[in-house]
Amino acid sequence: MIQVRHLTKTFWVHRKPPGFWGSVRSLVRREKVAKQAVRSVSFDVEEGEIVGLVGANGAGKTTLVKMLAGIVHPTSGEATVLGRTPWARDDALRRQISLIMGQKAQLWWDLPAADGFLLLREIYQVDPAVYAARLEELSRLLAVEDLLDIQVRRLSLGERMKMELIAALLHAPRVVYLDEPTIGLDLSAQRAVRDFILDYRARHRPVMLVTSHYMDDIERLCERILILRQGELVYDGSRQAVVERFARSKIVAVRLRGEVAPHALKTLEGLGRRLSAGEGQIRLEVPRDEVARVAGACLELLPVVDLSIEEEPLADVIERLQQSRRDELEGALTGAGRDAG
Amino acid sequence: MSPRLFVTVASLQARKLMSYRVDFWVGALATFGTEMAIAYFLWQAIFSTTDATQIGGFGFRGMIAYYLIVILVSKLVFGRLRDLTISQEIYEGTLNKYLMYPSPYGTFKYAEHLGNALPAIIQAAVLGFLAWWVLPLPEELGITVASALRAVASLLMANLLLFLLRFPVQALAFWVDNVWSLNVMLRFVLEFFGGLLLPLSLFPGPLRELLDWTPMPYLFYQPTMVLLGEVDTLAWARGLAIAGLWVLITALVSREIWRRGRRVYAGVGI
Repeated sequence: MIQVRHLTKTFWVHRKPPGFWGSVRSLVRREKVAKQAVRSVSFDVEEGEIVGLVGANGAGKTTLVKMLAGIVHPTSGEATVLGRTPWARDDALRRQISLIMGQKAQLWWDLPAADGFLLLREIYQVDPAVYAARLEELSRLLAVEDLLDIQVRRLSLGERMKMELIAALLHAPRVVYLDEPTIGLDLSAQRAVRDFILDYRARHRPVMLVTSHYMDDIERLCERILILRQGELVYDGSRQAVVERFARSKIVAVRLRGEVAPHALKTLEGLGRRLSAGEGQIRLEVPRDEVARVAGACLELLPVVDLSIEEEPLADVIERLQQSRRDELEGALTGAGRDAG
Repeated sequence: MSPRLFVTVASLQARKLMSYRVDFWVGALATFGTEMAIAYFLWQAIFSTTDATQIGGFGFRGMIAYYLIVILVSKLVFGRLRDLTISQEIYEGTLNKYLMYPSPYGTFKYAEHLGNALPAIIQAAVLGFLAWWVLPLPEELGITVASALRAVASLLMANLLLFLLRFPVQALAFWVDNVWSLNVMLRFVLEFFGGLLLPLSLFPGPLRELLDWTPMPYLFYQPTMVLLGEVDTLAWARGLAIAGLWVLITALVSREIWRRGRRVYAGVGI
């Protein structure tokens, strides 16, 4: 469905020296510097997959998505989406793809969403009966049936995002790019959007490529992740595998009978790093190969009611991956993922 | 782009403008009132300090009629005077959504441009009716059914021509950090040599002959003179042909600039 080979994008940006004379000088001459946003990225996405694109700000996630959506031309490399080159003027491809950008509204601000949807029906030439059925299904799933006739600018951020989702899916695209779909939303709106995406995917099976800074999005939605670092693809593989491979520790959570006594805390000091303690609960971060010993010690020394072992949060693992030195990363990546880089 | 989509886009744009009622009426009245007042007092002063009864082929009342029509014509041709939508969309990255659509951006934007002009028809009708009672106009204006029909064709051509003259300048936003000043310069040139600020009959003969081969007179001056019944059929057809040629030239230039600009577009907001 999506094939990417050595895709590279270099932007040229102007550099302006600071201060008054810098401004005067830049009136006559400006220095241009190259900024590599994406460096020789290659990967494939198969039918029905939902893939998370993860990385820090400036890692190249959005640029990559924009190239695959046909908005930005690459500097070099090749890509095909549904067998066609995305940045060529190809209306047949455009009818089958969609892009949802959490930071940019697609709908018309001054008009009710229903008017915008009607325009999209004309743009994508959707049969009126099919359009009515899809609009009914999508607005019911997102619980916005009563808001369709209200000007978009009068809707809350969460409601607007739901309308954006409807707008992007009315033509039943086979490939959906979601760029920060939950950005700025409160927790319940984030959950509603995630649930909807999962539900929609289960019903219609489009390919989805998701970028998000919220690891909850990635953890809930994606089995497979691509990690970008300074424009390079450093990991391509399962979400679970990245945690197993790169997580140094696990979290041992213990619930005790009654309050946590001072002596219990002291006992635990030597077992691992205390993350939190209070109201009868303690959370410890322990090295992965020490988990069994620490769990056994807890059960033996403390009045334990419940004990659970959790993986280190994905966000922490990825942050460490992003911050590690290049040689460390290359060493750790040997044998990890598939076709990384 | 299908004709049905074209009409839908134009109608949506018109509805968008009309959703701001106060701005719609106050803006129209204020700008029209100011422009007409300037023209009236300026030409009253000029006619009263000279012995001439005719200047550039117009008497005082004829001159006021010219300004009334040319100002209303400009509303229909411009749609929105300060429309910088295309450059803003490039700067702010809102162009992205149009690039995802299976329809050509230029045609989409022209449909919006035409949609901008639709509410101006309502404004022009109301303002024209008010002006009819207030302003000292000639008893006979020379407007006939034939001249009105010819003027509609000239107006449609002028509307398209203006869009295509402005498109390449706005598309320079792909490379230039700010195209506002270029737009202002272009607007001034088009208004001055297009007959919006002064009737072109006041210009020296050789300059007028030269201007006849440029697109400018076909934006405001000729549609106005056609409506006033001052242009014969042959001159009207010749004007349409020259304007049509410029439509072709500017369309080709716009297409090339757009093609090159798309290659450097980064799709980010400033």
